[in-house]
Amino acid sequence: MIFVAVLALWEILPRAGLIAELFLPPLSKTLTVLFQDRMQYAMAMLVTLYEVGFAMLIACGGGILIGAVVGGITLLRKLLLPVFSSLYAVPIVILYPIFTAWFGIGSESKILFAGVYGFFPVMLSTAAGIRTIDEQFLLAARSMGATVPQQIVRVIIPAAIPTVLTGLRLGGALTIIGVVVSEMLTSAAGIGYLVTSYRTVLDSPHVFAAVLMILVFSILFDALARFVERRTIVWQTAGRRERAGSRPDARVAPAVAAA
Amino acid sequence: MQHVAHVNLAHEDANPVALEIAGLSHVYDGREGQVPALDDISLSVGAGRFTVIVGPSGCGKTSLLMMMAGLRRQTTGTILCAGRPMPDPDPQRVGVVFQEASLYPWLTALDNIEFPLALRHAPREERCRRADEMLNLVGLQGFGSRYPHELSGGMKQRVSIARGLVQDPPVLLMDEPFAALDEQTRMTMGHELLRIWSMTNKTVVFITHSLTEAVYLADEVLVMSARPGRIIDRIAITLPRPRTYEMMATDVFGRLRDRIWQQIRSPA
Repeated sequence: MIFVAVLALWEILPRAGLIAELFLPPLSKTLTVLFQDRMQYAMAMLVTLYEVGFAMLIACGGGILIGAVVGGITLLRKLLLPVFSSLYAVPIVILYPIFTAWFGIGSESKILFAGVYGFFPVMLSTAAGIRTIDEQFLLAARSMGATVPQQIVRVIIPAAIPTVLTGLRLGGALTIIGVVVSEMLTSAAGIGYLVTSYRTVLDSPHVFAAVLMILVFSILFDALARFVERRTIVWQTAGRRERAGSRPDARVAPAVAAA
Repeated sequence: MQHVAHVNLAHEDANPVALEIAGLSHVYDGREGQVPALDDISLSVGAGRFTVIVGPSGCGKTSLLMMMAGLRRQTTGTILCAGRPMPDPDPQRVGVVFQEASLYPWLTALDNIEFPLALRHAPREERCRRADEMLNLVGLQGFGSRYPHELSGGMKQRVSIARGLVQDPPVLLMDEPFAALDEQTRMTMGHELLRIWSMTNKTVVFITHSLTEAVYLADEVLVMSARPGRIIDRIAITLPRPRTYEMMATDVFGRLRDRIWQQIRSPA
């Protein structure tokens, strides 16, 4: 409902003259322009997607690997985790000029920058996920004769997945932001570039068309990530409920004569 | 049903003593130096017997059980399970059931029960067969494809027991498995456990805080002192089997329970 209201406002307010068209072009104009120049937008989206894809590989792949190692090895964790947590607080965006200086203004600098940008939440939540695994899980595994590799693969990894997924969702979002922002700052291709170049000529409909595409993309990614997360949420709630003390599940209790 | 201590289980060596502990002491490093946790524990559990250990909190009974399971190494003394030492966990000799069922939430009940067999890379057919058998044994037929979060506390513990028994170990160690359950469920589960035990002839060592539970379940109750834990009394429970709820109201029951309580309150 709110969604529909927002769309309606987007159309009505500019047309009614309540907001200058320069600041908010009507939705219909934005969509028209988007359709007219769809090839241009499609090409730009492809570039952006390409950059986001590789950046996510760095952020998510690297984040999980390093997060697992740092979180899993006590010595490393005590030494490095505070460092990484502090770095996370630094607005990485201001470092982008360094990336362009080192790697040029092509896709590479954007991929690396966005990769680093999205790396931290993934790494930190993976480290946290590894740390907060119920000790009992590992004790039970050992009592069943699990070797250390088996403990890692069959217990630690599945148990850490819910937390890691949350980190991936946040990291993924930051990666998208990183790519788009870096395209806005210094670029010759991609959706962010379209935003900047049309902005400089004050072509609002084109700017908003690009922004709309970015919005849709981010929302789709977030929805997908949340969908996957929801499937695994039962793993977390199960652990929490057990710690709080058991109570019979109303659904199954009548079906079982004894507890 | 009578349980005779010298019954030989076909797959066991002819050893009537399932578990033997001699001179076991344990010291660990605390914040202010060495802390004696267990002091010269010696005990002997006959095959097929149901032994319960009670004692005040912190007396070391869980540590003792962990050592019997091979999950922890004692400082001195020996533990022999079916005649052989237990330096490491051996799920084919000793099954363990913890207080928190510790079922893996990403696996179904059947998958959880199969887990020890999967670790051993047992063939699929054997895994499915054994898991099904265990599921039926603990009275959960039809619930195999449920996930732990869909099971009640009592059901989760049943799965945990099934998991501990799936490799048919002669010994089953249980660390306050019913402590997290409400009283009614607890009583039901105790009764269920005795049923499962009578059908499988396992040697059971069971830790509990509940004196009623101890008397109800046990052939013998070992009473431990506060830290450093020592065995201060062995009480033979002479109540006939199968045990019934009605026995809990008898004088004999009450006297046995009182005796345990006296020992714990003011150790001899």
